[in-house]
Amino acid sequence: MADTEDNSITEKDNSKICILLNATGNVPIIKKRKWTVDPNKTVSWIQKFIHQYLKLDANEQIFLYVNQTFAPAPDQIIKNLYECHGTNGKLVLYYCKNQAWG
Amino acid sequence: MAHDREILRMIWEGQIAICFQADSEEIVGLQQPENFYLMVSRLSYLPLVTDKVKKYFSRYISHEQQDGNIWFDYNGIPLKLHYPIGVLYDLLYPEEDSVPWYLTIHFSKFPEDVLVKLSTRDLLESYFMSCLKEADVLKHRGQIISSMQKKDHNQLWQGLSNDKFDQFWAINRRLMEANGDQETFKYIPVRFYADEDTYIQKLITPINKNGQKKTVGEMMIEMSTPLKKVVEVRTQGISIHDGANLQWLSEHLSYPDNFLHLFLVYESNI
Repeated sequence: MADTEDNSITEKDNSKICILLNATGNVPIIKKRKWTVDPNKTVSWIQKFIHQYLKLDANEQIFLYVNQTFAPAPDQIIKNLYECHGTNGKLVLYYCKNQAWG
Repeated sequence: MAHDREILRMIWEGQIAICFQADSEEIVGLQQPENFYLMVSRLSYLPLVTDKVKKYFSRYISHEQQDGNIWFDYNGIPLKLHYPIGVLYDLLYPEEDSVPWYLTIHFSKFPEDVLVKLSTRDLLESYFMSCLKEADVLKHRGQIISSMQKKDHNQLWQGLSNDKFDQFWAINRRLMEANGDQETFKYIPVRFYADEDTYIQKLITPINKNGQKKTVGEMMIEMSTPLKKVVEVRTQGISIHDGANLQWLSEHLSYPDNFLHLFLVYESNI
């Protein structure tokens, strides 16, 4: 994932998708919410990224939700989610350590 | 509204003949087990219909592997456990004369890099419910599924996993009704397949520019590019007439996860 504040990266590569990461429940907050990501990356790739970023224990799990409604399959690609559920040029994702809207 | 109940019934009764074979490397003892034949519903999922298969083959494998994560392959291609069986079959498109479909069951070496570990009923159930929720977000902004009670959700899952048409459709009917006073959904929940790696999802409206119901033919043009022209759309093992409208197709030929799983055949330019 690339830093959106670094304009050179986002402007050079328009094909990337902007995602907004929101913490929910008792999970640590990632200060920088906006990220850009390769459209073909999967949900499980994002989960792993958050897991590593928050330095969680190996036995802790990250759950991801789209627009606080459903949990996408781990092998779903970001492009599909963005095409169908993106709003205002962004895909809004919620992450937590327990099932929330499961 | 789903008026063509007979069609729903025919789709529900669609079956595939599968011949399960053992992974010869996992067999202990001298005798190779006989193959195991089973008729399975196109609409179901491999983990839901293979309890008997697992039990049968587990007698021939070592104790350490008994509790492993089961998976299957066709010609070396691992089968996604969270795809409906009919989708897997249509996707891998076995030779038409090679009935039944030969699959190999494995008790070890789960290919974690390519398969999602949705091997238990509980995990599969929560994935299935997520699909229904996503589909309802597209159809009704999620308002129908969220107004249902937990017991309705259970009934949908039980209806599917126990192969009970009436039980499933008593609830699913509500999810398949158009929006309020309109004749269509907001968007059609659809996944497009062109190769075996993954699917494409896009926002597809059931209405065309002229305010009429969009046909499969119009959707084929929408899904074509100057270089790749869609010449055929298949689902549930049949080729779909290009005059059929998408709203009708969604109400009648969707899988129980409420998505249409459409296979796009492109014109070959070679």
